[in-house]
Amino acid sequence: MMVHIPFERYEMQNGLRVVLSRDTSAPVVAVNLWYNVGSRNEKPGRTGFAHLFEHMMFQGSENVPEMAHFSLIENAGGSLNGSTWLDRTNYFETLPAHYLELGLWLEADRLGWLLPAMTQAKLDNQRDVVKNERRWRVDNQPYGDWDERLQMLMYPSDHPYHHSVIGSMEDLDASSLEDVEEFFRTYYAPNNAVLSIVGDFEIDHAKSLIDRYFSAIPSGPAIPPIPGRTQLGLSLGGEQRVTVEQDISLPRLYVGYRTPAYGTPEFYTNAVVAQILGYGKAALLYRTLIREQRLAQDVVAYAFPIVVGASMLVLWATALPGVALDDLERAFHAQIDALQSVESRDVIRAVSLIEARHLSDLQTVGERADQLSMYTTLFDDPARINTEVDRIRAVTVEDVRAFAARYLIAGNRSVMHYVPKHGEVAS
Amino acid sequence: MSSDAGARGVKLDRSVEPAPGPIRDYDFPAVDGRSLPNGVRSVVCRAGDLPLITAQVIIAAGSALESDAQAGLATLTAASLEGGSRTRTGDTLAWDLEGLGLELAAWSTWDATHIRVTATTDRIEGALDILADVVRNPAFPPQEVERIRDEQLAEILQRGSEPRGLADDMATRFIFDDRSPYRRSTYGDQQTVSRFTATDTSDFHRTRFCPDVTSVVLVGDIDPDRGHDLVARAFGDWSGKAKAAPAVGVGARSDKTVIHLIDRPGSVQSEVRIGHVGVPRAHPDHVTLLVLNAILGGAFTSRLNLSLREKHGFTYGVRSSFAFRKAAGPFSISTAVGTEVTGRAVEEAFREVRTFIAEGPSDLEVANARDYLAGVFPLQLQSTEELAGRIAETVVYDLPTDYFQTYRESILAVDRTTIMDASAIHIRPAAMAVVVVGDATALMPDLEKIAVGEVIREGAGSADSVNIHGSEAGQHGG
Repeated sequence: MMVHIPFERYEMQNGLRVVLSRDTSAPVVAVNLWYNVGSRNEKPGRTGFAHLFEHMMFQGSENVPEMAHFSLIENAGGSLNGSTWLDRTNYFETLPAHYLELGLWLEADRLGWLLPAMTQAKLDNQRDVVKNERRWRVDNQPYGDWDERLQMLMYPSDHPYHHSVIGSMEDLDASSLEDVEEFFRTYYAPNNAVLSIVGDFEIDHAKSLIDRYFSAIPSGPAIPPIPGRTQLGLSLGGEQRVTVEQDISLPRLYVGYRTPAYGTPEFYTNAVVAQILGYGKAALLYRTLIREQRLAQDVVAYAFPIVVGASMLVLWATALPGVALDDLERAFHAQIDALQSVESRDVIRAVSLIEARHLSDLQTVGERADQLSMYTTLFDDPARINTEVDRIRAVTVEDVRAFAARYLIAGNRSVMHYVPKHGEVAS
Repeated sequence: MSSDAGARGVKLDRSVEPAPGPIRDYDFPAVDGRSLPNGVRSVVCRAGDLPLITAQVIIAAGSALESDAQAGLATLTAASLEGGSRTRTGDTLAWDLEGLGLELAAWSTWDATHIRVTATTDRIEGALDILADVVRNPAFPPQEVERIRDEQLAEILQRGSEPRGLADDMATRFIFDDRSPYRRSTYGDQQTVSRFTATDTSDFHRTRFCPDVTSVVLVGDIDPDRGHDLVARAFGDWSGKAKAAPAVGVGARSDKTVIHLIDRPGSVQSEVRIGHVGVPRAHPDHVTLLVLNAILGGAFTSRLNLSLREKHGFTYGVRSSFAFRKAAGPFSISTAVGTEVTGRAVEEAFREVRTFIAEGPSDLEVANARDYLAGVFPLQLQSTEELAGRIAETVVYDLPTDYFQTYRESILAVDRTTIMDASAIHIRPAAMAVVVVGDATALMPDLEKIAVGEVIREGAGSADSVNIHGSEAGQHGG
């Protein structure tokens, strides 16, 4: 079933791109900003800084007192958050519709007037919060550093995806107020941002409010190029392997393949391949490694929607107690090889699942706004919210077979074995 | 302070936060409930503007029905539904669903088992046929049940080495006494789960999955009359009567505050849980406690989070919550803090709790928390699955069908006095179970220094190896 999300898009004089989409089915409104900056833009010695900076954006600005950003939105009955990723940083709130102006005032103030409110005490506090976030997500979590390790294997040391979003403790420690100021002046400008609003509002009213709050914010200088090497050949040029000993109960296999970047036609094949392999109870790896062979406790497959140079198809499988990781890996590769003769019903299943999830996701104004911001930021094309599914539908069984034959091969993969410390394997 | 000319030439004073526009009404969509002759309750709610319908079957059979020897059986039974029906193998079932883009979710809680599918409007009839087949005619093939049992055992093993899962499981063990089912994990443990066979899941299904304890909720792009017809067609000719449910008794393990230190050597962070027995869902203070909890530890701007995160930087976040169940679930505070600040963080959490009880919230805090909860309510009801979840709550806890029509009014009626009265009864800092999972050697001196309670260093860091109820699970009988 097709659904068409209407929207209107324009660009302000200062370069801020705006996407408005009206939906009056509930009295709520989503305000969503994407800044075209992520961990890929960090300079050497400052890994994790884009994310630390995101935290600083919630610490108040010239006209917004410390903590007021959170309290004003929560007290209005809204929810809010932000997130940092390799390619971007986003900030978003969903509000009762009559608080739209509050959201715009808050977002404009921190885009235009963040620096006057920055203090060393705020930076020190948020640095501690972020270091605890790293401990919570990575250092104190079984398998928690897998993405950090896999990125190091999959991308050369001078590529911006070589390091993780969360960054290292020592780089976080080294970050200063001067870094905050420089990062802000470099990347936080209307010409490096997209503002999307979705929900119950009048288009003309929203336009006048956006003009009121954002038009006085000057355009920034040209955005510097992404540092390091941004072009990559579409082959890893040989298998990379690593074994990691950790305080875990069950061994786990991680496999990454280098694949074409998000936005290329082959990326959609990659997305379909991930569904075929790892999503649902009829997925190829579920029905073989889990259901028939009883080797694995779980399987996951995921195509990274990232745009610089090359993407990754990442898969993992956790061994059941008593199963040796080498046996699991052998069975795993056999199924990956089998993908070269996959049947069309696997492709139909994968496309049907993606279609259904896309429709379901569009139910919330927050998700619609985030997608509009994403497509505008990455591809300057908000219409993809309606057309992206067509690119998925266009993937054929021949495409999948060719993709598997070209990319899902030994010379193009990294393999990580996570094993319990001291060779203890539960049985 | 910065001022500049606004769009209409009016001077814009950015130092003043903009006033809200005219408030727009929100009404929880109308819910229509009927009973079929066989006892199945059919509940239909037309909502949303996309061609989607969520169908959720709710069976009043959850982990609370298990004896100690059956711990984990409700979870296994729900998971084993994917094993197929009398006419579909597990693999066929998966293809029949996923070939149409349908995803079947099946899970159990303490109080119910839920089976849910979301379909586009044109596929709802086929989706309901499969849903009914899964619920009414599961085959529980031994090979599939044993596979899923082994996966559940692996999951239990994983939780024992995962600090968050371990802390959660240990907290409930130390909060509840031996007669409380809630002291167990809904996953069960190695001893109970390893003994299960397909006969156990079949028996649980046969005696518990019956029309008289089943409700079918349809939410989305559907007319109520047609919805009831569809439910009757799929579930109307189902017969049977569920075995009577045992009464659930709940009690506290300890009447004083004790710190239970579970060693996880080399941890760079400590998982902390602080809690005690809370209140049942049916308690008249339910809504008051929602507002109370938002102020204490439920919202981002709660007292606990502002202190432990934004003031001290001890943690990435801290939350408190009441788990409302048929009997009294736990109240708990949950956080992860750096090893070196663990003692101070626990001390600070207790200080915040004691201050809150002694002084109460300000009128402004109460007003803000009410507005927060009333405001986010519709934000959390944008999808058919979220709406179905709320309607399921009315089904499981025997709330009126129109319960959520007046929910926001109930929240807005809570005041400072009712919160103070409730906090004096329902939050008891002198009788908390504190669980700390972390590097015990590093933590012990700090935890002993703070005047919170006796510190007991528990055994090795695995839920299974810490035996606090002193008896084999099987001895309680089934």
